Amino acid sequence: MSATAVEIRPPVWRRLIGFNAITGVIFGIIGYYLGWFLGHHITGKSIAFFADIDQNDLSVLLGYFFGVSGFLIGLGFGVYPWARLRGYPPSLREKETQGTSRYFGLCTDHKVVGIQYLIGIGLFFFIGGLNAMLIRVELLRPASQVFPAGQYLTLVGMHGTMMMGMMTSGILGPFANYFVPLMIGARRMAFPRIESLTFWLLMAAGAVLTTTIFFGGFPTGWTGYEPLNSQANTGMDSYLVFFALVGVSMCLLGLNMLATIITMRAPGLTWSRLPIFCWAVVSTSILNLLAAPVLIAVLGMAILDRTAQTTFFNPQGGGSPYLYQNLFWVFGHPEVYILALPGMGIVLELLPVFARKPLWGYRLAVSGLLGVTLLSWLVWQHHLFVSGINSDLRPFYMLSTELISIPTGFTFLCGLMTLWRGQIRFTVPLLFCLAWFFNFLIGGLSGVFLSDVPSDVTTHGSFFSMAHFHYTIMGGLVFAFFAAIYYWSPKMFGYTLNERLGKIHFWVMFISFNSTFAPLFAVGFLGQPRRTVTYAHNLQFLNDWVSVSAFVLGLSMLVFLYNFVYSLLFARIRAPQNPWSSLSLEWQLPSPVPVHNFDRIPVITGDPYDYGNPSPGAIPATAPAGGSS
Amino acid sequence: MSEFAANETDYEVVEGEPPELLGRNLNSAGHLLASATAFFFLAFIFAYFYLRSLNNAGLWHPKHVTPPTTFGTLVMALTVLSAILVRLGLADQRAGRRSEWRLKAAVGLAAGVGVVVLQVVEWATMGFGPADGGYASVFFGWTAFNLLFIVGTLFWLQNLLATAIRYRNVPVGGKPTPGHASGDPGRPGHDVADPLSLVRPGLEALSFYWTFLAGLGVLAWVVLYLA
Amino acid sequence: MSAQPAAAGSSPAHGRRFLAAWIVLSAILTPVVAFFLGPAIPPGNGSVEATGQVFDNEVLVAVSTPVCVFVVLFLGYALVSFRSRTAEIVDGPPLRGDMRIQIAWMIVTGATVLGLAAFGTYELLQGGAGGGQGPNAAFLPAGHNHALDVQVIGQQWEFTYRYPTFGGLETPQLVLPANTLIRLHVTSLDAVHSFWAYQLGVKADANPGTDNVVYVQTKGARSFDIRCAELCGLWHGYMFDTGQVVDQGRFTAWAKQQQTYFTPVARYLPPYATTYMPDPQRRAG
Repeated sequence: MSATAVEIRPPVWRRLIGFNAITGVIFGIIGYYLGWFLGHHITGKSIAFFADIDQNDLSVLLGYFFGVSGFLIGLGFGVYPWARLRGYPPSLREKETQGTSRYFGLCTDHKVVGIQYLIGIGLFFFIGGLNAMLIRVELLRPASQVFPAGQYLTLVGMHGTMMMGMMTSGILGPFANYFVPLMIGARRMAFPRIESLTFWLLMAAGAVLTTTIFFGGFPTGWTGYEPLNSQANTGMDSYLVFFALVGVSMCLLGLNMLATIITMRAPGLTWSRLPIFCWAVVSTSILNLLAAPVLIAVLGMAILDRTAQTTFFNPQGGGSPYLYQNLFWVFGHPEVYILALPGMGIVLELLPVFARKPLWGYRLAVSGLLGVTLLSWLVWQHHLFVSGINSDLRPFYMLSTELISIPTGFTFLCGLMTLWRGQIRFTVPLLFCLAWFFNFLIGGLSGVFLSDVPSDVTTHGSFFSMAHFHYTIMGGLVFAFFAAIYYWSPKMFGYTLNERLGKIHFWVMFISFNSTFAPLFAVGFLGQPRRTVTYAHNLQFLNDWVSVSAFVLGLSMLVFLYNFVYSLLFARIRAPQNPWSSLSLEWQLPSPVPVHNFDRIPVITGDPYDYGNPSPGAIPATAPAGGSS
Repeated sequence: MSEFAANETDYEVVEGEPPELLGRNLNSAGHLLASATAFFFLAFIFAYFYLRSLNNAGLWHPKHVTPPTTFGTLVMALTVLSAILVRLGLADQRAGRRSEWRLKAAVGLAAGVGVVVLQVVEWATMGFGPADGGYASVFFGWTAFNLLFIVGTLFWLQNLLATAIRYRNVPVGGKPTPGHASGDPGRPGHDVADPLSLVRPGLEALSFYWTFLAGLGVLAWVVLYLA
Repeated sequence: MSAQPAAAGSSPAHGRRFLAAWIVLSAILTPVVAFFLGPAIPPGNGSVEATGQVFDNEVLVAVSTPVCVFVVLFLGYALVSFRSRTAEIVDGPPLRGDMRIQIAWMIVTGATVLGLAAFGTYELLQGGAGGGQGPNAAFLPAGHNHALDVQVIGQQWEFTYRYPTFGGLETPQLVLPANTLIRLHVTSLDAVHSFWAYQLGVKADANPGTDNVVYVQTKGARSFDIRCAELCGLWHGYMFDTGQVVDQGRFTAWAKQQQTYFTPVARYLPPYATTYMPDPQRRAG
């Protein structure tokens, strides 16, 4: 079968021409200047805009629009609509791309997209982390010293926006794209082109946000509150375009995941046999699909406010800043669960493997995930307890917020009881999962303070809330992310990551993480607000402690990076097909997984947690694929 | 078998999927897209009622801001007409009346283009601008984004119609000549053996979504012009 | 589902041992945390609202302690007792759930959560607990009809204060009388600010076009820190100040003196109002 596919590959320079990332970047730059010129041409005729021509929002926004469009066309996303426009059926040419170059273009193989996501998201995660390091450098002294106030705010805004925006796909992007089709016994995602589009949109978004520094940055932080948003200079447009693109990417990712899990499950894979990670993907995708449109809408209103002079958020013109705060948090609270739920899914998926026990209380865990999904829509005004909105509704939001700890508690109970009386093996992924429990516990308990109005009066907008969400997001999502990468890299790359370096990475990261964020609870209680370049002198010791810990935390990332590069590129120790003796479907495939995943679609006869069953044979029936044919 | 050496293509495998899969995928995608669209416009509905209830600076609805109801009704009616035509076209397509469904879809497409044109003319002639208070903002934002969704859906409809027209002479269940099928001159064979098989599932999902958008158009008409 | 007999036999012992350890540890730690750590949690004793918040924090931290002990002890116990001691991979018992534990867990977490929400609501009912309540305050303290009105105006990048009962005078200093119920009206002229009087336990967002009311019952004379707690633009980090609570007599004297200073500029200022609508927004940092 493979003998027929021998072909003579053209020289490298010839292969660089075509639809790929290089063409994309060139088209993107051309598109940007085209839009920029167009914007100036349109607004140049108006006196009002002429007065501040260097603050031409329309020109910048059109530049971004054409730039992103050009980037996508250069990558080859225009081929499909152009063919369909002329009535031709889709060509599957993308599928044929071979070798390393397919990682730099439109590729419809879900495994390629997963690895693209891993590297791409990782890149922006490191940029965002570097911003955090610079913030901590500035906070070594109580007064402004290294960065001027405006630059500091841009750093804070870029760190927050980069993390909150890009990391929404932090687990769904790499791991769900790669493993959901494998776990459900499918050969592809439901919409492979859209899958690739979500990734490249995210990359375009990241590039757009980074270019904010050419327009003077933006002063609003990741929340982009109006009316400061409307006052700010053109750097704000980068923020708006970034988040809108992320919103589109999130929405499409959620749609694709849901469609895949609904329609492409292998025969026998009923909903009650779906791996718990897939359930976490389902609940996250529901939030992605429904919350992101609200974000796009509110950013669309903000863009109209800045260009077409609408007055959605301008109280002097019949609008209201509260409208922004309401709509932003209608998206914003589901958003934080978009960040938290995949982490829960990873932890619950991995614990049975390393405790050698079935997942305890599968139905309870699923109802916990879905309960969080539902309740996360009903709590958004707890971000606005002191803002003066609907003060009489605060008891309701206090109740609904605290109710979320019930379904969250379900996942805790299931995870803990899975460990109970197991045969626990201390691998690096398990260590990260256990750290997840500890961090999320602290994050959850501090959340109770923030959900309680009297306590929230002190902690709202202070470093306490900042420490709280870092415990839930960094302690939850990022620790689960590392658990996943240590767990799945033998399958994704065919090589195992070094365990010793992994343990060093874990301990340095876990200790420095807690040493960084635990003191910030105290700092917040002692009255230091978020996002300020100055703070009270008596808080300097705590802040210095936090800064130094943060630098160590940053170093621990370098340990991981070293491990990753060293293990995959230099040590190259072949991983066995199933190093963890997992019963999950993806581990029954060879490493790395062949392009078409399964020779024959497997028939599923049980859930993937059948550990300790004295009568084996109930293991999900699988058809080993790939090389055998 | 190394990953980078995996140079066999898997058309057989991809083609080996159950034939109803595309329909199921598009069907679920249509419903999911509709729910996402609903949440998108919920933001505008919320903005409408929120700003109306606050009436900040008394500028919710200044006296001179009067939306042209005739235009609005026309826009709404044409959207609904187009959606009904696509529905009828789907029934024809299901019954195998190929030229009838193409005609209905073409008229539906024309009606949709009419919606776009009328909406632009309405903006240009209606005597108030986006800066004229809360209502004007919501009016512009809502209609503008609604138009974006309409244009996207019309593009989808056009694609299906173009496929149906291009392969109009291919008998049902038959295959177009090689080289003609894929629209990609560099390709020896074709990826989708029967391009006409793409039409039915696409049309079913499109028809659902287009009806949904028309429903949203009626809602917009009620809220923006009548309320 | 047949469990391995040896493992099943040791199950109750583990469960009871863990529960006993948890109860003992919680019984020791909870009072320690509640009575030693709890009262040390800010914002202190600067006003009735601040005292209420300290009490609130005390209760929350006490309730959190057994929860925290439960999870950490569970992790520790499981890791020590159930770690695999064999080289080859051995499976644990196939336990897939226990309805009694699940129901007990739901009841306990549900009761805790409802109790906390009820407690928070009760505390909130005591006059709003120092948080901003918007133009129509829902939770009014006793005697709110006789509260002293003080307006806080956030603007880029300072707070100014107006006293409607003293001719609408506007000053850059916040001085409040001791042992008085104060009604602060927080509003903004431009971006969203947040007025945070730390030791008084007061935080209220300043939104343009909105009158955000917050009640605070001052105690004895003291000074307090004021910071802006909502990102409001370039110099947000420098938007801090110190306010004073002074005795009634000194307050009256101060207000008289300020009125004298204020008279010459009074005609340049807009008359006192709950909100102000200045010029349309312009670009700033």
